[in-house]
Amino acid sequence: MLGLTKGLKYTLKNLTKQNVTTKYPDAPLELPDRFRGIQKFYPEKCIVCNQCAAICPTECIQLTGKKHPDPAKKGKIIDTYDINFEICILCDLCTEVCPTEAIVMTNNFELAEYSRDELFKDMRWLDENDANIRKENKV
Amino acid sequence: MIRTEEMLLNVGPQHPSTHGVFRIILKIDGETVIEATPVIGYLHRGTEKLAENLQYTQIIPYTDRMDYLSAMTNNYVICHAVETMMGLEIPERAEYLRVIAMELGRIASHLVWYGTYLLDLGAMSPFLYAFREREAIINLLNELCGARLTFNYMRVGGVKWDAPEGWIEKVRDFVPYMREQLKGYHDLVTGNEIFLNRVKGIGYYTKEEAIDYSLSGANLRCTGVNWDLRKDEPYSIYDRFDFDVPVFHTGDAWARYQCRMAEIEESLKIVEQAVEQFPAEGAIMAKVPRIIKPPKGEAFVRIESPRGEIGCYIASEGKKEPYRLKFRRPSFYNLQILPKLLVGENLANLIAILGGIDIVLGEVDG
Ligand code: SF4
Ligand code: SF4
Repeated sequence: MLGLTKGLKYTLKNLTKQNVTTKYPDAPLELPDRFRGIQKFYPEKCIVCNQCAAICPTECIQLTGKKHPDPAKKGKIIDTYDINFEICILCDLCTEVCPTEAIVMTNNFELAEYSRDELFKDMRWLDENDANIRKENKV
Repeated sequence: MIRTEEMLLNVGPQHPSTHGVFRIILKIDGETVIEATPVIGYLHRGTEKLAENLQYTQIIPYTDRMDYLSAMTNNYVICHAVETMMGLEIPERAEYLRVIAMELGRIASHLVWYGTYLLDLGAMSPFLYAFREREAIINLLNELCGARLTFNYMRVGGVKWDAPEGWIEKVRDFVPYMREQLKGYHDLVTGNEIFLNRVKGIGYYTKEEAIDYSLSGANLRCTGVNWDLRKDEPYSIYDRFDFDVPVFHTGDAWARYQCRMAEIEESLKIVEQAVEQFPAEGAIMAKVPRIIKPPKGEAFVRIESPRGEIGCYIASEGKKEPYRLKFRRPSFYNLQILPKLLVGENLANLIAILGGIDIVLGEVDG
């Protein structure tokens, strides 16, 4: 019986303690700066080097480039850039290899959608996802 | 004696107490199990095969998903294998960060086990307390590497991030807090007579059987075998810490419970010392070529994960992808003894025995 009473005492002691749960989604959830959430993409910074697509372990990045519209300038600019969030595992490798920080991580994590197709995010969507960027990537 | 008709009973794969997608086909006579056949593979993703087409850095996030309750040790084993092949020297600060992260992961993993095991046995509140403390660890690791479970923190040659400002202090403060809570856990559960009746003498096996079945971790140490790779084959910087290897002798679920609870204390000791000795500055990455190509040859390393010995074998052709990768996944080996333990047992003990082995299905299925 002694063991049971001891346990009960612990329970009673904890009864008056403050809640540890949060009110999410009614209150926003604070996440650390390094949190790996949905990427933000800067089309103007991208040099179409393809490194992000090559390192991605799940091959969920698809991109195409086009010639620079200004004939005086060399190199390519980005044409389309899609990430398939059905299979992206938010591993951070794409942002790690990008030489120009054209793709960076944000703190946003709410990706629930009603259909699978909506998880296919294009360049415009990724460009507009520009809240909560990591401090080190802020311009 | 009255003989009742034999019956086949399917437990799982969607059963809350099988912790994932594990199925076991039981042949029962009344309430007694006559035969048990585990069916595994529902979560098989073919990590080893996938790895043959991936660069070494790309494999690291896949290892997170094997034993997802202690992804840090998985990260470490693959990095350690590649580093062994390449003969890399790891900077000290990186080693300390790795050890702190791995030991915090071990505590978190044992807390999940403690909570869910008691939940399986019908006690609700220990689960809530255990997850409260586990949340504190997960938050610490989240601050360190930006994810709650799938850390992807280690890299060949070091770690991805240095500790953020104030993080080491937070870890230092966490240790006494956790010690205090651990006392509470013992008050709540360890002396509880109902719990003791449930676990004492259940799922018993001998030292020899444990060795024959290649068991490792707490499943081995509960039979009196003093074997912990952190002590017996020290890797990383474990030889710098003063800690004990908890060994118990009764070989039943009760010994496994005591063993894991004692391991939490030992891990806290390691974390405490690591924080104390943490170098004030230094690099977190060794000099590693951009494309990692281990020389032609093979390597096998093994380390102590919360569930036992996790090993990694790499055969390399000198290319940027491995020719063959193989993980020795401790849960898979530990599970093999289950059919033997169940024979002749009461059906109600099934959960107490299965839970006591502490398997993670992501690791069993690979
Ligand atoms: S986070 Fe990882 S999985 Fe997602 S797009 Fe980047 S590299 Fe690919
Ligand atoms: S790595 Fe960066 S610069 Fe290169 S293609 Fe990807 S986003 Fe563009």
